[in-house]
Amino acid sequence: MGGGKMKGFLKYLSPFAPDNSGVVSALFEFGGLIAICDAGGCTGNVCGFDEPRWFTMKSAVFSTGMRDMDAILGRDNMLVDKIVSAQKTVKAPFVVLVGTPVPAVIATDFKALRRMAEKKTQVPVLTVESTGVNYYDKGAAKAYEMLFDTFAVEKLPVKPGCIGVIGATPLDFSSPDAGKYIAGALSEDAKIYGMGSGLDDVKNASQNELNIAVSPSGVAAALLLEKRFGTPWKMFCPWIPESVKNAAASLRGKRVLVVHQHFAALAMKELLLGSGASAVSVASWFSMERSLMGNDDFQLREEGSLADAAAGFNADVVIADRNLKKVLAGFKGSFIDWPHFAVSGRLLD
Amino acid sequence: MAEHYYYITAEDLFSRGVKNIPDELVGNKNLIYSSPATLAFNSPGAQGFGVKRAGLAVPDSVMLLVAPRCCGRNTSALAAPGDLGERFFYLLLDDTDIVTGRHLVRIPEAVAELCDSLEKKPSAVMICITCVDALLGTDMERVCRRCTERAGVPVEPCYMYALTREGRLPPMTQVRKSVYSLLKPLPKRADAVNILGFFTALQEQCELRMLLKRAGVNKIRELASCRDFGEYLEMAEANFNIILNQEARYAAADMEKRLGIPSVELTRLYQLDKVQKQYQLFAAAIGAEFDDGEYFKAAEAAVEDFRNRYGKIAFSVGEWLNGDPFELALALLRYGFEVPEIFGTVGESNFVWIKKIAQLSPGTRISSNLSPTMLLYKENEVKCDAFIGHDARYYHPGIPGIDWNGEDQPFGYSGITGLFRGLEAAFNEWEEGK
Repeated sequence: MGGGKMKGFLKYLSPFAPDNSGVVSALFEFGGLIAICDAGGCTGNVCGFDEPRWFTMKSAVFSTGMRDMDAILGRDNMLVDKIVSAQKTVKAPFVVLVGTPVPAVIATDFKALRRMAEKKTQVPVLTVESTGVNYYDKGAAKAYEMLFDTFAVEKLPVKPGCIGVIGATPLDFSSPDAGKYIAGALSEDAKIYGMGSGLDDVKNASQNELNIAVSPSGVAAALLLEKRFGTPWKMFCPWIPESVKNAAASLRGKRVLVVHQHFAALAMKELLLGSGASAVSVASWFSMERSLMGNDDFQLREEGSLADAAAGFNADVVIADRNLKKVLAGFKGSFIDWPHFAVSGRLLD
Repeated sequence: MAEHYYYITAEDLFSRGVKNIPDELVGNKNLIYSSPATLAFNSPGAQGFGVKRAGLAVPDSVMLLVAPRCCGRNTSALAAPGDLGERFFYLLLDDTDIVTGRHLVRIPEAVAELCDSLEKKPSAVMICITCVDALLGTDMERVCRRCTERAGVPVEPCYMYALTREGRLPPMTQVRKSVYSLLKPLPKRADAVNILGFFTALQEQCELRMLLKRAGVNKIRELASCRDFGEYLEMAEANFNIILNQEARYAAADMEKRLGIPSVELTRLYQLDKVQKQYQLFAAAIGAEFDDGEYFKAAEAAVEDFRNRYGKIAFSVGEWLNGDPFELALALLRYGFEVPEIFGTVGESNFVWIKKIAQLSPGTRISSNLSPTMLLYKENEVKCDAFIGHDARYYHPGIPGIDWNGEDQPFGYSGITGLFRGLEAAFNEWEEGK
């Protein structure tokens, strides 16, 4: 089983989390009215599958319930009226409009929607033009950037020891409690944006002494805050699940291929090299930060890419979500499971 | 400004009339609230059958989902090893595809590669397309013909067009036509019928089968019970079809046109006398006599036993269950129970029940799960003793009840019996757990 080589053809895997799921995941805990511009199916996928917190936390997530005539006639004014009506119930501090394939195909003017909706609701309206075609990290990145751009506007005195963590979502870390674990792994006073820290912390972002992008989706927002307030920032992942660390403890002398979100995979790479692995390669289907890629690292594209990477690197061990075993054709080495929710929909135990 | 969730009493709703249903109860007039009570509306396949799972009801078929990755994401839930997990495949669209339709030229190649890679050749390839192709106006039947020529297996389209769900042919109506479209004309068997409407079989204890057998029907087929493609093809020899879900009417009309199989429709009901009357009319229509006394008595006893033991229970009735919530609520009222609230979608087909509910229980609250104001519904806001329906369970944690949305389909007297015996078991379990 080697996986499909034809562009976009999946024979063994199910699709990974899309950008509209990333948008909702990044913004879920900030208290906004989130309106997914779809007919209903995308909302069902996002809420019922890609957002584990949705089952346990009350949230103001809606589908705009688009129908064929809405799409054909471009009835934006009706959409705005629906948002205004819902906002009277929700009274959210802001509104988010999330793009999906439908507005992408009909070239919805999100800027105009934003203006119309802001005028009528009198609250900020964020529009994230996800398309359902790209991966979740692209959507999360846009969402974080827009969130900070809109709300982190006031320059406040820097608080020593105050750290901002951007890019933590259940999609990246496979746990709705990941915020707690990441905070626990950092010794300083850490604000985990979107997983424990809310809108007020975003507004006070200029107080941060340092920002950390714990996944590639946090990079754009960190750059924005550096440009706006001069806040320095770093790229690294401070937390790896204990179960995965333990399983990877005895790989001295081995060639290991690690597949996960880039920064988490890099953290594992550092750990493995520190414990005597002979060589470690990092691969991901999602965004990879060019400046952090080594010669042996792989940007995966198609389903068959993973088998090629494992063979090309001559890996003894692969550490990845176990769903990816299906596409490791001819791989004779050992496999360590590291759940990645955006890949398989599996949470950590 | 809404400070409270929206509801209207049965009395007020009836007085407004079916042509004047309040906008708060009409889904596409508002944003659609996404809660665990509405998941089945947005994503029917989340628990049960949506277009993707329904399309695979054809035995030995496989499905190629041609869509942006967001449309196939929750299919991961079906991806466990086993039957369904190994029958889904994907051809993902990129940014250029969704604007130009370029993906269409890749589909025949993908179908051919898929068929060649499988150990066993599929009976059919169902190609599922989504909103993108609805907007592009894709002629999927033409693409499927090309695929059939290229791959040498029948290829049929399934339209997961959520954009058209309130149109003339919503997705779950279309897919029912798709799954029967592979049948070819056969000589008719006078003693064979098909049961259409559901993607899972009727409950084993359903009396409809026995009543038909006694009337001389020896072969009763359901799609879900066909073990292989050969058995599926034999559905074409039916003398007539029995429609149990109105979403199957379009499929039945197509079967009549193509295969010469007429149909008769029965309705799932929970009112004992209505079930009896329906069977009488059905028997007369097919020239038979149904002796349904034993089943009637069993259902009657189940209702009485429950009522005698638990008294005048107040039920919260939801719509995420096997039945129409308004008809079920009316049945409960007529059996002597109370129904303080109903969550459901009001339309022309079920407004007839609203009239009777208004007479028996004018103050019953009627709400739509989809209303944004449901964000304000406080748990157990309306005092009830029990719930029926997965959505009603969400609003009432901490009281006994049943979801009544299992895959085995209840119908007729056995549906009523099963409901009340199920409630009894739920109450027993509740009491033991205290």
